[in-house]
Amino acid sequence: MTGPLSVAVSPAFWVAVVAYCVASVLLLVVLAGKGNVRPIAVTFVVIAMIAHGSDIGWRGVQGVHPAGSVREALGFLAFIITGGYVLASTRYRLTLGGVVVMPVSLVLLLLARLTPAGKSEDLSVLGRIHISLATLGVGIFALASALSAIYLVEDRALRRKKFDTAAFKDRGAPLESLDRLAHRLVWVGFPIFTVALVLGAIWTARLGEDLGRIEYLLAVVTWFVFATLLVARQIYGWRGRRAAKLTLEGFAAALAVLVIYLVRRIVG
Amino acid sequence: MSELFVVGISWRTAKVAVREKLAFREDEVADTLNALTRDLPVTEALLISTCNRVEVYGVAKPGSDAPTSVRAWLAQRKNAKLAELADALYERRGPAAIRHVFAVASSLDSLVVGEAQILGQLKDAYAFAGTAGTSGPVLSRAVERAFGVAKRVRTETTIARGAANVSSVAVELAGRVFGNLAGKSVLVVGAGKMSSLAARHLYTNGAQQIIVTNRSPEKAEALAEEIEGVAQPWADLERLLAGADVVISSTGAREPVLTRAMFKRVAKARKYRPIMIIDIAVPRDAEPQIQDIDGVYLFDIDDLDKVVASNLAERAKAAEHAGRIVEHEAGQFEHWLRTQGVVPTIRALREKFAQIADAEVGKALDQLARKELTRDQQREQLQRVVQLVVNKLLHHPTTVLRGSAKEQGELRAGVLAELFALEISDQEPEVPEAEPVDEKPPEVQA
Repeated sequence: MTGPLSVAVSPAFWVAVVAYCVASVLLLVVLAGKGNVRPIAVTFVVIAMIAHGSDIGWRGVQGVHPAGSVREALGFLAFIITGGYVLASTRYRLTLGGVVVMPVSLVLLLLARLTPAGKSEDLSVLGRIHISLATLGVGIFALASALSAIYLVEDRALRRKKFDTAAFKDRGAPLESLDRLAHRLVWVGFPIFTVALVLGAIWTARLGEDLGRIEYLLAVVTWFVFATLLVARQIYGWRGRRAAKLTLEGFAAALAVLVIYLVRRIVG
Repeated sequence: MSELFVVGISWRTAKVAVREKLAFREDEVADTLNALTRDLPVTEALLISTCNRVEVYGVAKPGSDAPTSVRAWLAQRKNAKLAELADALYERRGPAAIRHVFAVASSLDSLVVGEAQILGQLKDAYAFAGTAGTSGPVLSRAVERAFGVAKRVRTETTIARGAANVSSVAVELAGRVFGNLAGKSVLVVGAGKMSSLAARHLYTNGAQQIIVTNRSPEKAEALAEEIEGVAQPWADLERLLAGADVVISSTGAREPVLTRAMFKRVAKARKYRPIMIIDIAVPRDAEPQIQDIDGVYLFDIDDLDKVVASNLAERAKAAEHAGRIVEHEAGQFEHWLRTQGVVPTIRALREKFAQIADAEVGKALDQLARKELTRDQQREQLQRVVQLVVNKLLHHPTTVLRGSAKEQGELRAGVLAELFALEISDQEPEVPEAEPVDEKPPEVQA
């Protein structure tokens, strides 16, 4: 079940890197008021997504599973984030989100491809399912967090009457829609993340690793934060700013898990 | 060449007291248009009369001074002294008139730059001119192109973006919070004129219902009836707030009627669903601290004015870009207009050439039908026909050119060289004699 630990990067990877860079800059230009640049920026976002997907496909042909390791999963996570962003952009104007999402996806992709491969990982079926589900869950949480971040920026502009700011002038998605969409994403991501967490615990136990390690504890914290969010939302009607902040906090914990995992694998 | 012109008066040149003197009612327009084209040297005419402008767009008869005639005629028709209107009335001719029509349609000449109403008014005026039969090829083309330019300006610039009055700002801000207003409930607190306008605007933009509450139930009933809303007792204010999505408040109260304590309870009751308060009362109806509560968005009259000012500044910036579009389109239209002067000549030239060719081909076909010819003879016959057609086409110009005096001849020769892309050698040419035009069909040599 084990594939090659590391293969050379594909040409599509470099296309994706360039497209992510250009898209990030152009989205900033759009946000600065040059609305006529928007179609070009969107084109580069789509190019980045296609090239990124092609890179994952190319690696798959070389026998590298997209969730075969935490390092690979980062690249896959970035692809889910970009894909989700493109999907959401078909319905809402999310320039502000793109300004955050594009650089984040770029950094994740670079981490996935250019960091040292580190030691070999157990690629059992259980491990792969755990990594796949965890990546998907965190990817969905990442999208919910991006929407929550946009919510907070737009809410702040509106509340503080900053009518001259880019956040107000860009006429992005309405607050109610951002809040609703983020909530739905958390609803979808939570059960996936829950299963990933349980499988991860079993996998870790089988590997004989200590379940008290910081990344495992942080994963549990992530789960608790999102569980609290869903319960508070359902029972106490939490929404808006409070829900957005909690979503970001939950995602920060999930991101910390990933970073610690990655560092540990690299350092060994 | 037909010259487009504009004569008119607008908010830029005259106060309403002067504009209203020249205004035309809808039922006067047809007669006015007919009179313009009947009594004046005007071949085509359109009249636009709105609260901000009264303008005649027309096409002058060649060689006439139609704009001056229209100025005097307008004054006379409206029983005004031309001298009194002299400063207010303006005229644009030719390219300036084209630019003006395009700018008006694009709302660059409007009091509120970018407003959409003027385009509809111009379309109505054009329809009137069409019904009255006073819009001809030039005016039609100009006005229709103006509609195209207006569309381009609205698509390519941000000139129409952002609300430009308080009522529209309420809708715009509600859009920022809720997106679609469909299914949303509007609560009007107080019975002020401004709040009724804003509520109506929200309603026409999709809000589901309007509820009116006021300390005086009679006033609440009256306003509710006026804006197709429902009146509710003032005592139920807190309950009404819990059910509303947008609140427009404009009571005459000296103390705030929407307090932070009240909204803490309201927000909890509505499970922090967003609520937007537009407080257009002075003194303010809502305590400013309300906006710290989660899900509550509060805007007072200064905030609304700030949005209007920001949007208008944005529009002013966009107007510069729009001006360049108008300039470019006007240039293209002028070019089209200039080419219209030579169209009849081109048509006559083509018809004459076609007649000559048809006649000779017809004669040749008759000949061919009478005799059986070899392939070489057919080729020879064809060459003769072509030669004959060329001779006939060139006979008159060659004769005229030869008979021209030196200066005129050189001028004509230059024009011909340019028209036919001739390469003329500097060497002393051997001047060919003009071939006599043989009217007889070419003889076929069997």
